[in-house]
Amino acid sequence: MFDQLFIGGLATGCIYAVVGLGFTLVYRTLRMVNFAQGQVFMIGAFLGLVTAERAHLPALPLLFVVSAIAFALGMVLERLVFRRLYHSHEVFIVGTIGLGIVLTNVVRVFFPGPVPFPKIFGSHVVQIGTARFQETYVWVVISTLVLVVLLHAMFTYTRAGRALRAVAADAEIAGTVGVNVNRTIALTFGLSFAVAAIAGVLIGPLYFVSFDMGDMVGLKAFSAAVFGGINSIPGTILGGLAIGVLENLAGGYISSAYKDLVAFAILLVMLIWRPTGLLGRDMPVKV
Amino acid sequence: MKIGKLVSAVGMMGCMAMAIPAIAQDIKLGVIAGMSGPGTSYGIGIRQGAEMAVKEINAAGGIKGRKISLVIADDASDPAQSVTAMQRLVNEPVDLVVGGFGSSQVLANMDVAERAGMPYIVVGATNPNITTNKNKWTFRVILSDSIQAEQIAEVAVKRLGMKRIAVINDANDYGVGNRNVFLARLKKLGIEPVAVVSYQSADKDFTAQLSRIREANPDGIAVFGTVPAAPAIMNQARDLGIKARFIGTGGLANEELMTLAPKASEGTVLTTYFNEDVDPEAKAWANRYVKEFSGSSQPPHPVLAAWEYRAIKFIAAPCLESSGTDKDKLRQCIGHWKGKIFGVPGEAYFDKTGQLIQQSVLVEVVKGAFQPFKGK
Amino acid sequence: MTTSTGLRRWWIGAAALAALLALPAFASQYIVHIANFILIYTLPVIGLGFLTGFAGRVSLAQGALFGVGAYTTALLTTKFGWTPIATFVPSVMMTVVLAVALGGAAVRLAGLYFVMATIGIQQIVWIVLMNWIDLTNGPQGVRSIPAIGFGNYRLETPQQFYFLALVAAGISYILAKRVIGSRLGLYLRALSDDQLAASSVAVEVGRAKVIALALSAAWAGAGGFLYAHYVRFVHPDMFGLDASVLYLVMSIFGGYRSIVGMIVATGLLESATEYLRPFGEFRMIAYGMILLLGMMFFPKGILTLVRRRASVPAAGKG
Repeated sequence: MFDQLFIGGLATGCIYAVVGLGFTLVYRTLRMVNFAQGQVFMIGAFLGLVTAERAHLPALPLLFVVSAIAFALGMVLERLVFRRLYHSHEVFIVGTIGLGIVLTNVVRVFFPGPVPFPKIFGSHVVQIGTARFQETYVWVVISTLVLVVLLHAMFTYTRAGRALRAVAADAEIAGTVGVNVNRTIALTFGLSFAVAAIAGVLIGPLYFVSFDMGDMVGLKAFSAAVFGGINSIPGTILGGLAIGVLENLAGGYISSAYKDLVAFAILLVMLIWRPTGLLGRDMPVKV
Repeated sequence: MKIGKLVSAVGMMGCMAMAIPAIAQDIKLGVIAGMSGPGTSYGIGIRQGAEMAVKEINAAGGIKGRKISLVIADDASDPAQSVTAMQRLVNEPVDLVVGGFGSSQVLANMDVAERAGMPYIVVGATNPNITTNKNKWTFRVILSDSIQAEQIAEVAVKRLGMKRIAVINDANDYGVGNRNVFLARLKKLGIEPVAVVSYQSADKDFTAQLSRIREANPDGIAVFGTVPAAPAIMNQARDLGIKARFIGTGGLANEELMTLAPKASEGTVLTTYFNEDVDPEAKAWANRYVKEFSGSSQPPHPVLAAWEYRAIKFIAAPCLESSGTDKDKLRQCIGHWKGKIFGVPGEAYFDKTGQLIQQSVLVEVVKGAFQPFKGK
Repeated sequence: MTTSTGLRRWWIGAAALAALLALPAFASQYIVHIANFILIYTLPVIGLGFLTGFAGRVSLAQGALFGVGAYTTALLTTKFGWTPIATFVPSVMMTVVLAVALGGAAVRLAGLYFVMATIGIQQIVWIVLMNWIDLTNGPQGVRSIPAIGFGNYRLETPQQFYFLALVAAGISYILAKRVIGSRLGLYLRALSDDQLAASSVAVEVGRAKVIALALSAAWAGAGGFLYAHYVRFVHPDMFGLDASVLYLVMSIFGGYRSIVGMIVATGLLESATEYLRPFGEFRMIAYGMILLLGMMFFPKGILTLVRRRASVPAAGKG
């Protein structure tokens, strides 16, 4: 049973990690939490669904197309919506919650019930030890790995990446050395939307897609980011994987009824014990 | 000031225009269900059943010449909103209420009906606590969980020969209610379940629960939940290599079970609320129903529509005919009702607690459709 | 205040009060029913105000705390046969104790981290309410909660309950104003303005924050008590994250420090959810748009529409 729980947890953990990345990217740059992140994940899944059915794209091009659309969407929404919410934390939170509600219910109008997602990753069943699972799980883990490597490369070696890091460290100073701060912020949102959407496409084949699939995932990805360190990318990844595996193990060995409790208990304990998370650094935060 | 007068005049005319369709002599029938929110597909089915029944009754001359007009209250499948929705119906006032979907909602809104002395026929909630010795005005036509879960337990052990039964249930009242009754009956039959696990209604991943079940090596799995969790559970179970047969009660009685789990749901045996193959009249009704509503935006769900239709046509309407709209007389009439309705084998009658006692309908998923269970 | 604005305000207030008192006479039972909900909700919303406007903290756990108050009284009255009035103090105490126990350590965290912690608290409380069946009946909820009674007189109908709700809301408002106007209120406001500066003038930062938390919990618990004896049925889904969001939204829409604004916002938003009912499927989209657009264009609260406030509010005004 352990193998099954562990591998299953790894896959869902990857999803929490990737969606959590979206939270982290925005937080690092703006010190704000985008409460619509879970819904962006859900939109990504639906984008993938619609694109796969219309254009019959195989997995890789599909991921590319969906992430590109999501990226653009993120930049547009930053311009139109997010920019006006920077007033204060509370305003940003409530505003993005509102955005999330709008996204959920707009999708609901078109897709009132759950819909199966095409098996873009094939439907072989893999067996490792006592664990049996669809090959999609393997692809989820591999894709996450590749994504993390790509992101790391981008942050370290590209100009845009370094601009992102500069703005995250100190926007004012970054501006004075010639970084286009506004555009960088827009890019940040674009990126956070893109990664969440990719997660949506990755998980599509495993479950049905439905308008409410983003709610719990958003909350748990958030917990994952906080657990690992909401201003640390490797921390968020670690946090996601940890929560995914731990909640599965708890659900299997202890009690399936209280499985969700694990993610939130971890969140609470972590905040009280070490708010910056496992790998987070203490960033000067205005009290 | 002139603008003000104009606005109030228009406002008044608007209000009058809205009031005109329901003339004073109309009989008002309240329908309460979730038509937005999680239970929408069931709620829409209930509304369609009501519309169909009322249309037919009105076309045939109504009740002693009076037309029935429907007052629809949407509770968004939320208990608190359901209390408000029922309050609205009571305030209207409607003459009686036929509807109610979701045990949490009905448990909440029936208190409002009871306190207001409003006859209430429940068609879509199966929690045993709805019909007890406490309710005076509330009746229920659909089979309660206790009866269904007991019956499926008997079927599992005696007709399907299951010995190692696992249970997975939704943590909501439907799932918990069913599970408790099921386990109690199993105990009486001398069987201990090999695994009992639960999940939250909105869960999408059941690896943890199913891994535990797989460890226990069952030959039958009772799934006490609804769509979309149930088909997801079935799919994931098969993915994990679990080959046991699924059984369940009314929560599985939804065509989407087969749409979403085409292969995994084959062979599932469940008690249902309505199956068109039980008798030719049922089949005829089902065909009429599908034809009338297949053009609308929501695909027709005969299961609950059937109960709403039958409750109105065969129970509410005759009682309105014989007893008029006096609420107390209506209540008495309903309580003493007995008869034969299509789709229900044998005769049915209301017991002291307001529950309609009837033979249940057992079906099996065969080639993607519900077929009457032949027993194997 | 003898200025003309003062006098006008007095008249508006008196007129509003008269209208409120007379409401059951000319409004339908349904409208009174909605009014009752509005009045009940002002309690958790004002409670949040202690945290948001006056201690600079956002909480998304108010729904759960409201539920703790509701469940406490529900269980005491149905399982142990207490009379409703007797359960008021225990309900409030239970809520405060739970809030401080779970959140007391978290309240010293920086603002955003505190929000995160409250989300955790909210979810944990909900999960427990739902799954600890032996205690709470889990998903079946607790039904047949008795009505509040004074002697032999029970508050059964919406109209009867209305007056209790009105009195409760009134007391809650007056009490809140007193707290804000007091020394404690001064500390709290100093806190939210600039924590560093506040601590430098020896304001006991940590303790003040915990007190703000306790106050918000007390108001939430009191509101929950009223709710349970009005709806007469409690279920975990009534006290989930959605409820917390709703109260937070009402609080923020009302504006940072305006208790009156919060009350008005509660009224508007609650009626809106009822008005929006005819929209059917689009109701929630409309609700989301109201939140989003409201935050985008009225971040300081809706009363900024109505009043052009002086830039520095006088001490004690709210």
